[in-house]
Amino acid sequence: MYSRKTTINNQTGLHARPASDFVKCASQFKSKITIKNVDDDETVSAKSIILILSLSLSKGMKVEITAEGEDEVKAVDTLVALIDSKFGE
Amino acid sequence: MIHHGNPVSKGIAAGPVFLYQPFAAAVSEALLEESAVSEALNKYENARKNAESELKAIRARLETSDPEKAKIFSAHIDILFDEAMDCDIRELIECDRYSPDRAIDEVFEKYARILGKSPDPLIKERASDIRDVKTRLIRVWNGVAEKNLSSLPAPAVIVVHDLLPSDTATLDRKNVLAIVTEIGGSTSHSAIIARSYGIPAILGVENATTHFAQGETVIADALTGQVISNPTQEQLADCDERRSRFLAQQAQINSYMEKEAVTPDGVRVDIELNLASVSKQSLEGAKCTDGVGLFRTEFLYMGRDTLPTEEEQFEIYREVLTKFGDRPVTLRTLDIGGDKKLDCLNLPHEENPFLGNRALRLCFERPDIFRTQLRAAYRASVYGNLWIMFPMVASMDDIRRAKQVAAEVKTELTKEGIAFSPDVKLGIMIEIPSIALLADFAAKEVDFASIGTNDLCQYTMAVDRLNPAVSEYYQSYNPALFRLIHIAAKSFIDNGKPVCVCGELGGDRLGAAVLMGLGVRKLSMSISSVAQTRKLVNELEMKKAVEIAAKVLDLSTAQEVEKYLNEALKDILL
Repeated sequence: MYSRKTTINNQTGLHARPASDFVKCASQFKSKITIKNVDDDETVSAKSIILILSLSLSKGMKVEITAEGEDEVKAVDTLVALIDSKFGE
Repeated sequence: MIHHGNPVSKGIAAGPVFLYQPFAAAVSEALLEESAVSEALNKYENARKNAESELKAIRARLETSDPEKAKIFSAHIDILFDEAMDCDIRELIECDRYSPDRAIDEVFEKYARILGKSPDPLIKERASDIRDVKTRLIRVWNGVAEKNLSSLPAPAVIVVHDLLPSDTATLDRKNVLAIVTEIGGSTSHSAIIARSYGIPAILGVENATTHFAQGETVIADALTGQVISNPTQEQLADCDERRSRFLAQQAQINSYMEKEAVTPDGVRVDIELNLASVSKQSLEGAKCTDGVGLFRTEFLYMGRDTLPTEEEQFEIYREVLTKFGDRPVTLRTLDIGGDKKLDCLNLPHEENPFLGNRALRLCFERPDIFRTQLRAAYRASVYGNLWIMFPMVASMDDIRRAKQVAAEVKTELTKEGIAFSPDVKLGIMIEIPSIALLADFAAKEVDFASIGTNDLCQYTMAVDRLNPAVSEYYQSYNPALFRLIHIAAKSFIDNGKPVCVCGELGGDRLGAAVLMGLGVRKLSMSISSVAQTRKLVNELEMKKAVEIAAKVLDLSTAQEVEKYLNEALKDILL
């Protein structure tokens, strides 16, 4: 199991296109991946657009991404990099 | 027979009813035999593929004509293949032996409920997208062909319980005369779509789908909110006449949307925008306005547990300033008090919040909030033409204190080596009678003023504008209000300082005529009033506006003023 924390920094947060891009990226990996809202500990699957939307992750919020499986390190690093890239904003 | 509803998109039309009954998903309660499970899973997979083809076909059709709507269907494809829902559905089929349609129904509903509980209205709205995809998937599972409103055989009045997002996105615009629904308010999906298409819509007509029969002729009057069944010949003729008149008026008013506001005798009036939030849509107003006369910043503080950071505010102010370029953006500092609850600010309950610790007073008490906002604003000032405006100013002391804080913030930024524009103007809202009476002094200490007529009326007439029991005492046309505006405006004009009106009165044609006559050359309003105000300015001679204003100052009651204005402007108001 491997996990890392980061902060959502793009203007729209994890909504709309960024949320969709995030899920598409997560779905390429074999590992089981979750995303957690660090402030209230709520954790959902990183491969579900609906559950991610339900977290209402907006700019400035801290998240933790955790993966378990053969490509866990690559999965977490790629997703953290995607969030840190501000989704090309 | 007349049925009543809420007219959310203005217009009127008569025509045959098209009763639209979307596919109603009835699911099979019977459990699967163990041997049928793998076939059921295959069928479920096929249904998803077929639903995806439908969605892709709709998306392809919209991609060129309406790319914004095409996005709705991309989102629907994402929902259709949501991994968490897929897992839950498969589990119900494999372990609990649910028939796939029942599994789909339960799981999609569960997720729709999760999103429906979100405090964020945008996410909440997505619940209707999940239900929309659910209906599609179960329909496809049942092998029923798609039924929608994308091609109607002839022009019709659509009568429906409620419109789904996919129904409205593919709506056959040229054949939909009007929309009548049983549920929905003025901010619902149906209302927003109807307004953006200019289709008359009456929502919330109880039991509409049982009152009206397929094909019967009705009049959908979204000017008054009535739906008339079995109309008489006279009613139909009247409807025709009102429809032509309405359409002609609309076309005429809209033709003024981007026309410069100059009176026939050559006086220019700036038409500015009241901005209460920042989105792609609200910033569209930049196309047809001469600046932002009132940028309300309260939205930054609402619906959140923490105060907005300097960085966050800076980004948003920068976006607005950049969008408007050289045109002024008048940012009003936080205007909030005990009548509004803010999760990020624990404000005590007050007996008399409108006279309480609000706006500038609260900012003086909480310099952390005030300074953060001013720092963000000054930092953003290098991106455009920033004017900063203080609300709830009652005395010269308030003005001096606010200016002092602004000066300190500037010194601080200079020390830190952070750039800001040297041309930022500082001004005040005139919404308290005391400062209107002292405007000659105020005009010497600030760069501009903006008259907030809603609060000025409330404080002048001593009427709580949120209390319906006293609404008749809230008189926007009371001559006392015009006399105060006259005093305030004249003081600023005499000192060569700009004065704007940003309350409702500025976007009201009767009010705007008087304000022009009183010397006001900047009117700020919501986007919906822009075209009609530009038209008024283009048709009203300044000479006449001055006469009208003089006369109004000489009347004694609100009724007299309103009657006089309707009479004096009757040729223009037509």
